[in-house]
Formats: sequence, C-alpha cells, structure tokens
Amino acid sequence: MQALINGLISGSSIALLALAFQIVYLPTRVFFIALGGLYSIVPCIAIAVKDTGGMSFAVIVAIVGGAMLSAFCEWANHGRLARCNASDGVQLISSLGIYIVIVQMIAMVWGNNTKTLRMELDSVTTFGDNIVVTGAQWVTLLSAIVSIGGFALFLRYSKLGLRLRALADNPIQFTLFGYNINSHRLLAFALGGMFAAISALVTAYDNGFEPYAGLHAVLLAVVAVIVGGQGSFCGAVLGALLLGLIRAEVTWYSSARWQDMTTFALLALFLLLRPQGLLGKKTRLESVS
Amino acid sequence: MNYLLHLLVYFDIYAILALSLNLVVGYCGLLTLAHASFYAIGGYACALLMLTANWGFLPAMLTGAFLSAVASLTISLSAWRLRGDFFVLASLAVQTLIYSAIYNWSSSKYPIGSWENLTNGSFGLTGIPSPKLFGWEINGTFDYAVFATGVAGLCGFILWRLKSSPWGRLLLAMRDDELAARGLGKNTRLAKIQAIAIASAIAAVAGALYATHVRYLNPDSASLDESILMLNMVIVGGLGNFRGPLVGAAILVGLPEILRFFDFPDAQAANLRLLIYGLLLVLLMHFRPQGIAGNYRLE
Repeated sequence: MQALINGLISGSSIALLALAFQIVYLPTRVFFIALGGLYSIVPCIAIAVKDTGGMSFAVIVAIVGGAMLSAFCEWANHGRLARCNASDGVQLISSLGIYIVIVQMIAMVWGNNTKTLRMELDSVTTFGDNIVVTGAQWVTLLSAIVSIGGFALFLRYSKLGLRLRALADNPIQFTLFGYNINSHRLLAFALGGMFAAISALVTAYDNGFEPYAGLHAVLLAVVAVIVGGQGSFCGAVLGALLLGLIRAEVTWYSSARWQDMTTFALLALFLLLRPQGLLGKKTRLESVS
Repeated sequence: MNYLLHLLVYFDIYAILALSLNLVVGYCGLLTLAHASFYAIGGYACALLMLTANWGFLPAMLTGAFLSAVASLTISLSAWRLRGDFFVLASLAVQTLIYSAIYNWSSSKYPIGSWENLTNGSFGLTGIPSPKLFGWEINGTFDYAVFATGVAGLCGFILWRLKSSPWGRLLLAMRDDELAARGLGKNTRLAKIQAIAIASAIAAVAGALYATHVRYLNPDSASLDESILMLNMVIVGGLGNFRGPLVGAAILVGLPEILRFFDFPDAQAANLRLLIYGLLLVLLMHFRPQGIAGNYRLE
C-alpha cells in the first residue's frame, strides 16, 4: 500500500513532465529534449531568488522564467528551423544541443553538486497503522492535480485550448483557417516550459536536484508518453502514473537499481508490440512520426 | 612527444568510432544513441577474456566484436519497423538496458569474471594486461600509438572498401528512398542488419583498444553521455562521406587541447568543452545541417 501511494505521487510528478513534453510534441512535432535543461535550471533560479524575495516569489519567478526560456528556445531556434522545413532529426539534434548548453552553463555557474530547495525536516502525516505521506509528497500531489486538472479544463472549454488541439490535429488546415501558427507554437512552448518548471520545482522540493538529472527525467516522461499513447494528452498522464507505480513496486520488492532497466524494458516492449500505446488508435508509425 | 603520441591514440580510437557510427547515421540514415553500448561490450568482453581466461588480445578482441555484432541485432531488428524519433527511442532503450546490465551485474561476494560478478559494477575492471600480438609486446606509448594507428588504418580501409562497393551504394539508395530500393528487389532489411552489425563490431574494436590502452574500464564508457559525444562527433564533422567523421574526431580530440592554452580552471574546462560542442550542434543545424565536411542532411 505504501509502495502504491509512493508510486502514484512520483508518477504524478512524471505526469507533469510528460504533459509538458506532449504539449510541445503534439502541435509542433519537436522532440524537445531541451526540456531537460529547463528542468535543471528552474530550481537553480528558484534558489537564487529565494534569498532575496522569499519562497512564494521565488516559485513564481522560476515558473515564469521556465516558460519564457522555453518560448525563447522556440523563437530563437525551433521556430526558425521549422520555417526552413527542417526535418525531425534536425530538430532533435538542435534541441539536444540546447540541452547540453544549458546543463553545462548550470554546472559552470552553480556547480555540479546536488542541492535541495527544502532546508527543514519534512512534516509527516500517518494514516492507519503504517502508511506515511510526507509534506513534500502532499505538495507534489496537490500541484499535479491542480495543474493537470486546470490544463484539462483549459483544453476542453476554452477557445485557445480548442485551437491548440486543432493545431495538433492538422497544422496545415489550421493555417488555412487564418490562424497564426507561429504565435500558437510559441504558446505551446511556453505552456510546456511552465509544466516542466512545476514538475522540476516539486521534485527539487522533495528529493533535491543536480544539473544532470534533467535528461533522465525527460526520458522517463517520454517513456510515459509512449506507454500511454503518443497521440493524446490523457495518455501521457495515464502512462506516467502507471510508470510511477511500476517503478515504486520495483523499488519496494527488489531494489532501486533495477528501476531503469524495468522502465526501458517496458519502453522496448511497447515500441515493438503496441507502438500506439495504451490509449492510442492503431495507425501506421510512419504516418505519425 | 609522449603527449602527442597519447593524443594520437585517442584520435585513432575516436576516428574508428566516428567512422563506424557514420555507417549507421550517415549511410543508413538511422539516428542511434546506442553506439557507446557496443563500444563498451567490445571493451568489457576483451578485458574480461584477457583478465580471467588469459586469452591473447586478438582472439579476445574478435570475440568482443562478434558479441557486439550479435547484440546489435536488438537495434537492427527494431529498425525494421521504426523510423525517425521512434527509432531513436528504441536505440535509447537498448542503450539504457545494456548500461544497466553492465552497471548492475556485480556482487562483492564473488570474484570478478564469475557469472555472478561479471563486470564488477561501478568499480570497473582494473589491471587489464597490455596486448601482445604475434610475439610483439606492446608496452610503451610509442608502440601503442603505432599499433592503434595500424588498427585504425585497417578499420578505415575496411569501411572505405565497403562504402565504395555495390553494397555501399545499396545503403545510400536505401537511405534516400527505401521504398524505391525495395521496389528494385533489394533486401533492405538484410542490408540494415549487416550495416549495423558491421558498425557495432568495429566500435567493439575501438572499445578493446581503449580498454587495453587505459587498462581500466568502468560502466561510464557505456553511458548515454558517451553515446551523445559520439553522435556529436559525427554530426559536427559531417555525415555521409569518409572525411567528415575524421574531421569530427579531430575536433573532439583537438578542442580540449586548444582550450588548454587559455587559462581556464580545470574544473570549468570540461564544462566549457561540452558547452562548445552543444553550441556547435545548435549552430550547425541552422547554417550547415550536413556538418562541417559532410554531404548528407539528416532526415
């Protein structure tokens, strides 16, 4: 039971990042590895601001900073490449380049060591006999529910959400209807950066952070997207929760060192046997990739 | 002088890796992140056979190359069905699985090389003997530089002959239009398997060279960062021809040495070097997507 709860909570922080990846990937088809760089830099911003402006101000600055940085990646790099009709591979490689640049800058400015956002010991809530939920886990769970729920409502009921879904569905027709594709792409990147920032902050608050953790986190998110079904937002969240559960169970019953092996074995299984994911419709991979 | 010879050995190793990776990325058009794992399989197989079974260098290296070629089936079979981003992900899965296997296949209760403690985990293998070839004991840096250059030359020659053969042209045809190549009755699946297996076997040779040169091997040589570095080399240097990867390897080996002339603190120099690689990737994608000396643009 404890493993189940731990899994759901760590899964919800993966879900935030998976959603961030998906918000960028579906409308723009950019495999946004640089999200890993954002994931690493956001807690650093928060720590730098915290000393002068207090915690809540630092969180706001960090989230806005993450969104702006992500939008800057689109404005300066991916958008320009897309207007030159660059292929998927080119987008991926340049995103990888941005990731390397951001991470190395963090390492040069703030150093390589692991840091944490939380200074004091964590409070603990106990249910029943032996089920423990820490304060940081509550924070993770609540911010995941609020932001994922908010995003679901935004997609479902607002005009802008509808337009984002339309862009994801068919970019060419979207342009034909007279909407500006560039500004909507910019919005998608900013939203993606925002969700990545929230995910990074809750993880940094719970477990601490170091510059090189970003890539691993993004890869987990991508596995979640593939498992859940890479055509939908819902699938990403479902896949992330499932992945969190599986990783927690593996840790509980065997050892944390098999976590990655199980995760990527799962990825290989899904890619070979069910590449459309749990919620996806059956299509040919070539047509969606 | 010793320093230059040392650099030459590293250049040889990276040149072998870059040329072999180019066979997959530049000639088959498949972006793979698993190359470092085949490099590590070659290194580990060679080192373990030499350490625990007292094999000679040549049979140990060839066994490593064979194992690596067999392991490469995991990515070439997924290349049958997957393309683009999905193939990258599949190769990433293979890379992580092999890395975790090397990292976790250890137990302190058993001697190194037994079935329970094959790789000695994160501690790595130490005291790998230096190679001996037909009675030639390769010991000093000069000997090793000559040896490594010879091996690199041989690998380069094999790859060059392959690329200018009809089979090499089949790869190019398949990369540019797989459907058309299949329409002409070519077995593109078999060609992919062959190309990836050959590239992996040659990467394993580079791994064996590295293991016997440094005489220490740890799981870092199978890490994702190592794969990214190799990919970086090929993409910066250039894809799809013979000189591109050589340029990439030269830049990779030369850049840290050039940075040495400026007075950076040592701790920052490594970060700065990687930062420059990252920046090069971003800029090249905008201004020269085929790399500095290449002639193929990534799909």
